[in-house]
Amino acid sequence: MPRRKPQRQKPQRHKEVLRGAGDAFRCVGCRLDVPLAAPGTAHRNHCPSCLTSLHVDHRVPGDRASGCRGRMTALSLSVRGDGEWVLIHHCLSCGELSANRVAGDDNALVLVQLALRPLSDSRMPVRALLAL
Amino acid sequence: MSTTNTSSHRQTETFTCVRCGLTVTKFGPDGGRRNHCPSCLHSQHVHDHVAGGLSDCQSRMIPISIAVLRNGDWMIIHRCTRCDELTSNAICGDDNQLILMRMAVRPLAQPPFPLEAFGDL
Repeated sequence: MPRRKPQRQKPQRHKEVLRGAGDAFRCVGCRLDVPLAAPGTAHRNHCPSCLTSLHVDHRVPGDRASGCRGRMTALSLSVRGDGEWVLIHHCLSCGELSANRVAGDDNALVLVQLALRPLSDSRMPVRALLAL
Repeated sequence: MSTTNTSSHRQTETFTCVRCGLTVTKFGPDGGRRNHCPSCLHSQHVHDHVAGGLSDCQSRMIPISIAVLRNGDWMIIHRCTRCDELTSNAICGDDNQLILMRMAVRPLAQPPFPLEAFGDL
């Protein structure tokens, strides 16, 4: 049942601890404290446990110019020419897509689940075989 | 009479693929508007998805991966070769199934870690 008298919107509490540290961020999906230093990459932007990211950058990575701040979930995996896996994130708030290389400590089980997602449905492989 | 004329005219509109040069109808067999070539799956950057409206890039967009929606439908993720913008488009019924499957299995064909450990799970 909806609230009869909506509460006044309070401004969000200023998080002194998170901003002061500067070497870690807290995941918006699973609330894990993630250090910015990651093995294998210098541009970590997603949680290694649940692969969720936050929409803070606009067109240039690292510019912090986006006012969206929406949650970005891992949508799919792409492979670069040199064999590196690249995560495609999808913003749940504005629908924008972004790409980021996977880090060395990303959850391998979640990555493989993401890679297997197109093949979990049997209709498309059967159609591809029939096209031969 | 004029409405049937325009609808049949819409159905016979075509564009030329910027990569393979194939002449493609703008509307797929299921009636949906298509934005990529069904043969090589390449697209052209004509729509600005961030700011909206027409894009002045007009470059080729290459298909880089397959995304799966909650209802099981496949989407193609395209990346612009000039400005690196990403877009997602629904696949069409007559899209090249072999290129689609090749993109879907590519992460598993080139894993950055050994996949043998997942056989025990």
